[in-house]
Amino acid sequence: MVYSEECDFIFRLKGILEFACQLDNPNGVQSQSTISKSFQDLRSKVTSKNIVFTVCNSPVLIWPNTGFQSSVESLTEASACGDILQWIESDDGGSKKSSKKKDKKKSGPTVVNMKLLFEVTEPAGNTAPSLIRVSTQQHCVKMPLPLDCALSVTTDERLETVCTGLVEALNKQLADMEEVVLQYRKGSSFLVPQPFHFQLPEPAGLITVVYPAGVPDSQLQAVREDLHRKFELPCDRPYLRRANAFHFPDAAYKDGYLRNPHIHLNPPNIEDAKLYLVQGVYSYHHYMQDHVDDNGWGCAYRSLQTICSWFQQQGYVETAVPTHTQIQQALVDVGDKEPRFVGSRQWIGSIEVQAVLNQLLGVTSKIMFVSQGSELATKGRELANHFQTEGTPVMIGGGVLAHTILGVVWSENTGQIRFLILDPHYTGGEDLQTITDKGWCGWKGPEFWDQNAYYNLCLPQRPKTI
Amino acid sequence: MGRSYFVDEAVGEYLSGLQAAPGSCVTGLLAGQSSPQRDFVVLAVQTPHRESEGQLKAPKGVSPLDDIDVEWVTEHAKQVSRMLPGGLCVLGLFLVTPPELSKDAQNGLKRLIFAVEKYIIKGRLWELSEEDVTDRVTLHICSKTKKLLCKTFDVKDPKSSAKPADWKYQTGISSSWPMLTCSVEVDLQIPVTGSSSDNTDKCMKDGLRRWAKQIEAAYCLINGRQALDDSELISGQKKNPKTTNRQTLPARIFVSDEQSELGERSSALVQVCSGSMRVRGVVHCRAYIHNNKPKARHAAQAIKRDIINTVCSRVEMFLEDLCINEGSQKGLCSGQQALPRRVFAPMPISGLSVCDYMFPDESTADVAERLKEMLDCETPEEDIDTSLENNQCVALAAAIALLATATSLLYFS
Repeated sequence: MVYSEECDFIFRLKGILEFACQLDNPNGVQSQSTISKSFQDLRSKVTSKNIVFTVCNSPVLIWPNTGFQSSVESLTEASACGDILQWIESDDGGSKKSSKKKDKKKSGPTVVNMKLLFEVTEPAGNTAPSLIRVSTQQHCVKMPLPLDCALSVTTDERLETVCTGLVEALNKQLADMEEVVLQYRKGSSFLVPQPFHFQLPEPAGLITVVYPAGVPDSQLQAVREDLHRKFELPCDRPYLRRANAFHFPDAAYKDGYLRNPHIHLNPPNIEDAKLYLVQGVYSYHHYMQDHVDDNGWGCAYRSLQTICSWFQQQGYVETAVPTHTQIQQALVDVGDKEPRFVGSRQWIGSIEVQAVLNQLLGVTSKIMFVSQGSELATKGRELANHFQTEGTPVMIGGGVLAHTILGVVWSENTGQIRFLILDPHYTGGEDLQTITDKGWCGWKGPEFWDQNAYYNLCLPQRPKTI
Repeated sequence: MGRSYFVDEAVGEYLSGLQAAPGSCVTGLLAGQSSPQRDFVVLAVQTPHRESEGQLKAPKGVSPLDDIDVEWVTEHAKQVSRMLPGGLCVLGLFLVTPPELSKDAQNGLKRLIFAVEKYIIKGRLWELSEEDVTDRVTLHICSKTKKLLCKTFDVKDPKSSAKPADWKYQTGISSSWPMLTCSVEVDLQIPVTGSSSDNTDKCMKDGLRRWAKQIEAAYCLINGRQALDDSELISGQKKNPKTTNRQTLPARIFVSDEQSELGERSSALVQVCSGSMRVRGVVHCRAYIHNNKPKARHAAQAIKRDIINTVCSRVEMFLEDLCINEGSQKGLCSGQQALPRRVFAPMPISGLSVCDYMFPDESTADVAERLKEMLDCETPEEDIDTSLENNQCVALAAAIALLATATSLLYFS
């Protein structure tokens, strides 16, 4: 297949296959081969003529194992996979084109969702049914296997190749699942193997890893180390924790927060300057969210929440983004504030943000002090370095305001600089259009800062872990 | 505004040909298909005489109406239901009474119709949907005047009262009804917990119910087209009343293993079983759909229900038979046994077919006898089609023969 970054499509095939087997003695030596036999049967099932892919929201059915047949005459084995789009009814009735507004960018590959089905008609034989009864004491094991395969392709890739690729992926996933099931089985206790997709740096691209359900990431360290070695991934940052799983472009985030609103902006065009941005995914936290009226006092809390959301979504922590109360309680717990602080509307600054990140997330941060706002323009190198190595959002407090810095455009030669700011003072709803149009997330020049006030910046450091 | 029943003329002839002994009543079933707009009746069958009863007259002092053997009528209804392919069902009852009993007939009919409905749905593996018509027809015929009184009862509501309905005769009602067919491969592995035969029955029921839900939720193609929405089954076709050609529409069914109760589990479901049962083989299914602008999804529903019914019926019949032969204490023992296989025969006059189930030790003569008893019609044995489902023994014999040939070839080469 091709490198994912140039890919136009992701074909995603999902389906449930029931794993079933009968074990005479779950602790006996035979049980492993019985389990393997059941998986072998499932692998035969997915390579049989009976499997069918249905393309969601369309009348298209494809039989991938019969020399490619489809229910729609115009789709043949020679068809390019992009041809499938004309058959899909999109939910909003419109097309998946990028927004017409200026300064907005493409939203990434198109996802074609497919479902795995099995035909029960057109059988090979015609023998009327029998009832076969077995009366030995057995442990009957049943488990739904949540198959989920994804393939990144370009528009001109043949549909037939895509389908063959998906069948291979199904086979491989079943083999991976068998390994996980056998490895984590204790007698007759089986853990469901769950697939997760990860977008790795080239050339690996989109890969799928199967993890056992219920086993926390902390216990899967060795598995990740092996995979980091296999895919030549850096050993100091997580790529394969469950939270790092690839977010498919067509899936909505259930919590309703906007993710990375900055990607819809075009960076300023400064001669000779380079772009240094936050890495990964964060959620936009701002005034009035979660039914908390913190208008006028909560800006640093919201910036802190944005930072916490980053650590959660990059897989460093499993704890939820803290509420104002939890943030205040954390400060009381470390002895930084009196108990009556909890429930108050008192402001916090960078030092408090650093303390809370340490207390609740185990994250350390560097503090950068700037005696005058005008000096911030000279901090290009430090900020560029930060975004390159740590890539975390930066909380900046000073004057009477707190903001989040998500990146800089900086020229080493001319010293020109622009700051990408996420403003927590926004009181409206999660409307991307408004937020980007009105600059609640936007590029600002050095004049944005109060030239005379002093500022403290909190630069969170990534823990060196996978 | 009551329902309209369009009835095949042949049914009318059957009903007027019924002989009732003076002073006595005749009960019987009406079968056909309901659709939201109108209903079609294609078969009428009187309740067969019960052999245990020698007398036709009610004992002194008991009204013939009260003497109606409700249990026998409901049993007959159930047997007939098993013989009807998909899309067709028992739509109601008729009752012939002498003039002096006419005014009490309605109560009799109401009692019967609710009893029949209750008995037929017992053990059924699919639920009626909101769109299904729950009105059942009761037809009263006066033995002297031959006057017909047609009413309906809503069997969903035990307190409902009779509503008037139209009874119209037409020729060849079902002659151009399309027939949906498919052969379905079944392979169900059902664990059995506990050891009594009650347990066996319950486990079988649970296992079949899970499978039935899969079939109900399955994706369906009819004649190559998706059968999901409100689109018409046969679009772009001119309706020619003169053609008596019946279209055969192949259906294809696609299932997924999605089980909502297994849902978001993080570990496997493990049961300690005393054994297991496996139902394995191919069933041949058929359904009819009326041709008054039928919707694709109703046709899909009809064939799916037939698939579920045919597997369920034969398992039920087998277990009933087992109970009689092996006794209820026996429980579970090992072995492979053939389930009764499905055979088809032409329905009296309407051109549709009915089905029956043949145990391995039975012949077409037995089937013909049952058709005579249950459907009151003579069927020549050569008209009974046994070719749609292969005999399990034939398959086994063929396999052995093949093996023998292969072995001898190997030996002599």
